[in-house]
Amino acid sequence: MNRIRHYLRAINAENIKEWKIELRYKPDFIRQFFEPFVYLFPYFLYGFALLGSRNSEHLKSLTGISDIFAFVFVGYLIMGFLNTACWAMGASLRKEQWYGTLETIFVAPVPRWVYVAGMALHSTLHQGLIMFIEALVVVLVFKIFFNISGLFYSLILLLLMISTLYGLGILVAGLTIGLKQWWVISEAVSTLVTIITPIAYPIAILPLFLQKIALFLPTTYGVMGIRHFLLGEYLTLGIHTIFFCIAIMLIIWIGFGLMIFLIMDRYGRKKGVLSLY
Amino acid sequence: MTNDIIIKNLVKVFKKHHSEVRAVDGVSFEIKEGELFGLLGPNGAGKTTLIKCISTLLIPDKGTAIVGGCDVLKDPLGVRKKIGVLTGGERTLYWKLNAVDNLKYFAALYGVPSNRVKERIDFLLELMDLKERANENVEKFSSGMKQKLAIARALIHNPPILLIDEPTLGLDPYFARFIRRFIKEELSIKLKKTILLTTHYMDEADELCDRVAFMNRGRVEALDTPEKLKKAMPQEQVLELKCLGDLNKEDFVQLKESVSLNISKQDGYHYLRFNTDNPEVLLSKLVDMIRDRAKILSVQVTSPTLEDVFVYLTGTSLKESQDE
Amino acid sequence: MNIILAEIKKSYKILLAYPVEIAFWIFSPLLWAVPLVFQGKALIGGLSSEKFGEIAGTPDFIPYVLIGAIISTYMASSVWSMGFAMRDETFYGTLEHILSAPVKPVYILLGKAIFNSFLATTYVIIQLGICIIIFGLKITLYKIVPIVFFLILLIAGLYGIGFAAAGLTLLVKEAHGLLHLFEYILFLFSPIRYPVEINPITKAISVIIPLTYALIALRGLLLNIRFDFWKNSLILIGIDLIIIPLGLYIFSWVDRHTRQKGTLGEY
Repeated sequence: MNRIRHYLRAINAENIKEWKIELRYKPDFIRQFFEPFVYLFPYFLYGFALLGSRNSEHLKSLTGISDIFAFVFVGYLIMGFLNTACWAMGASLRKEQWYGTLETIFVAPVPRWVYVAGMALHSTLHQGLIMFIEALVVVLVFKIFFNISGLFYSLILLLLMISTLYGLGILVAGLTIGLKQWWVISEAVSTLVTIITPIAYPIAILPLFLQKIALFLPTTYGVMGIRHFLLGEYLTLGIHTIFFCIAIMLIIWIGFGLMIFLIMDRYGRKKGVLSLY
Repeated sequence: MTNDIIIKNLVKVFKKHHSEVRAVDGVSFEIKEGELFGLLGPNGAGKTTLIKCISTLLIPDKGTAIVGGCDVLKDPLGVRKKIGVLTGGERTLYWKLNAVDNLKYFAALYGVPSNRVKERIDFLLELMDLKERANENVEKFSSGMKQKLAIARALIHNPPILLIDEPTLGLDPYFARFIRRFIKEELSIKLKKTILLTTHYMDEADELCDRVAFMNRGRVEALDTPEKLKKAMPQEQVLELKCLGDLNKEDFVQLKESVSLNISKQDGYHYLRFNTDNPEVLLSKLVDMIRDRAKILSVQVTSPTLEDVFVYLTGTSLKESQDE
Repeated sequence: MNIILAEIKKSYKILLAYPVEIAFWIFSPLLWAVPLVFQGKALIGGLSSEKFGEIAGTPDFIPYVLIGAIISTYMASSVWSMGFAMRDETFYGTLEHILSAPVKPVYILLGKAIFNSFLATTYVIIQLGICIIIFGLKITLYKIVPIVFFLILLIAGLYGIGFAAAGLTLLVKEAHGLLHLFEYILFLFSPIRYPVEINPITKAISVIIPLTYALIALRGLLLNIRFDFWKNSLILIGIDLIIIPLGLYIFSWVDRHTRQKGTLGEY
């Protein structure tokens, strides 16, 4: 019991420490709240330029949703957690290397997964806050309406998807221990997942081989499922299938991510590269 | 369970491209509970690598270490509960946090009970004379203050064993003196911690340590108390000359009166240290040898230091070992 | 001249130490254009839109988006590579040594700017090749002289912004936020991904951004879209004549200021 309490405290301490450091860089902290809009608005404006309005008959025939702003917004909002996994979580150990504190924290008597959990907690809260404000602004300014009855299942699906993505975040965090140019892998993964996930278009638009790959990504199920619950998007898969697939992926991704992390930690301790920035 | 450190035939090899560096090459020794043990050697001797193996940051390739009864390979978590680690260098704290926030964070990592954290932090800040600057960001601290805070961090969970790696590296004389005195009087004598201290400053080891091991190129060359190590020198005296001119070690190879020579250069002057039983005879020979090439500015006859013992045992001076 | 060449040589050698980054810079802009291609198909159900043609000058949105993505390589290069040009030296600890050499800092910066613009141009040519092969992009290159003319004007203008960014990142130690700000403004308010006329705010702010006129001209030349050659070139020249000296002035001012304050070497 004492041990569990110790680990929980350490997880929270990691979370609090990251918040405190982040808040010291106030301009950058504030900037992060504007960034989602910078990348979201081009989708809106581009779509509007193509159609001359915010409604698309072709999109409606494919998905049941004609409002392009609502369609893109829900997809984009959820994808914020991909960036959290690839960058915020993924880069957290690299940040410690840069601070010079990685070895100092690795010498403390807590298992490695505690740091990972601390990073995940901070990232979730951080992204959740950004998401909330982003949602508030977009919904009010662009008058986007959701099915409130779908909110509960959307949140469950979101949590499952986030947890799966954290497996990816753990994997990237592990890679940063040994690979100098880990960020290229991170950027490549997040870019490819962004392209293949049906954020601004339905999965049917993708070439066949990409559609098949999309079915292996938790973000595909997350986005499709949540848009179904909130906006009534047609589903090509059953909703039970979506929940089932994402639950399986959760186990696989977390397990795989942890395994890579522990391998890279051992590698770092064998090769003596823990402290190297 | 005891709080000693037992190192058993520890080997750590780094492979670089087509070559191999045996950073720690079959090191074995024991540090008794409550002892202040010094590991002495030049840069690149393997001291830091050894400390990292003991603190579980590195996995040894052969052998092991038992720290406070826990094996570094089988029970690394157990080892980490028993140790506090202090390294030299400035970047081991969160600069954007203040002293209190840094210590709070590490207190949580080390499992200091919540109801004792404040009391422990107050005690440590008072001890390190940092109380007045407790709420300032660490980035505003001087190097010495950062090192003091790092000591406080290493002590946050009151560990019985301390691993201290080059604690006065880069510090000015005032802070270096403070740190040394603190290690000796507070940590060793008063709190009776088991301490493994690495340094390349011979004076530091001589002043602080109960026993000292010389480490060079991954191996322990000698291990004993500083006094016994110095007494083991075949010659009882050291003749030191301060010269201005152009001198090399090769110039003195023929001398029979001295077993070893340590030649160093500082601020443009050469300092020659000869171990000898006949300083007067040696001096007259030296005057004849170097009169045409250098000017002798001062002469001293002293007792051997640990540095002289190191030169005698390894055949190289501290500076030469660093350069290799 | 020797200093500029020395800086180019050094930058080239450092670049070769990171081959993976080269691949990143080549493919990244194109990868970010792909979702827009798919989005267009999802919304329109085809490869062209009359509504789009009314404001963009061409109904074919795929070539429009691809050219925007390719040319945005220069934007990324000027903001990030130049912005971090001096900051990287601070990180390595070499800045003070460089700036205490008997050479005006602006020549060092020019060396970096010339190197980065050659590099960006190389990336752009490769990207064009990829788009022609994979996306079937059809471009006309017989108007190579005006294309090069507008590229030079674009590069000059963007690197004027880059000089300012290089200076400001020495002053504002937390550089990422500042560079992101530059990037956001250029990204949102220039016709990289959409015609800025679609929104009054984007249209209003785009008038002071060199990318706006360069993109109109380059799309016009490469995709055979009608545009006003003289209007775009004269405005671009006018912007460059303001931005370049302003950027250099900001850099020189920060250089003097940090030497006075003693914060030059601080990372």
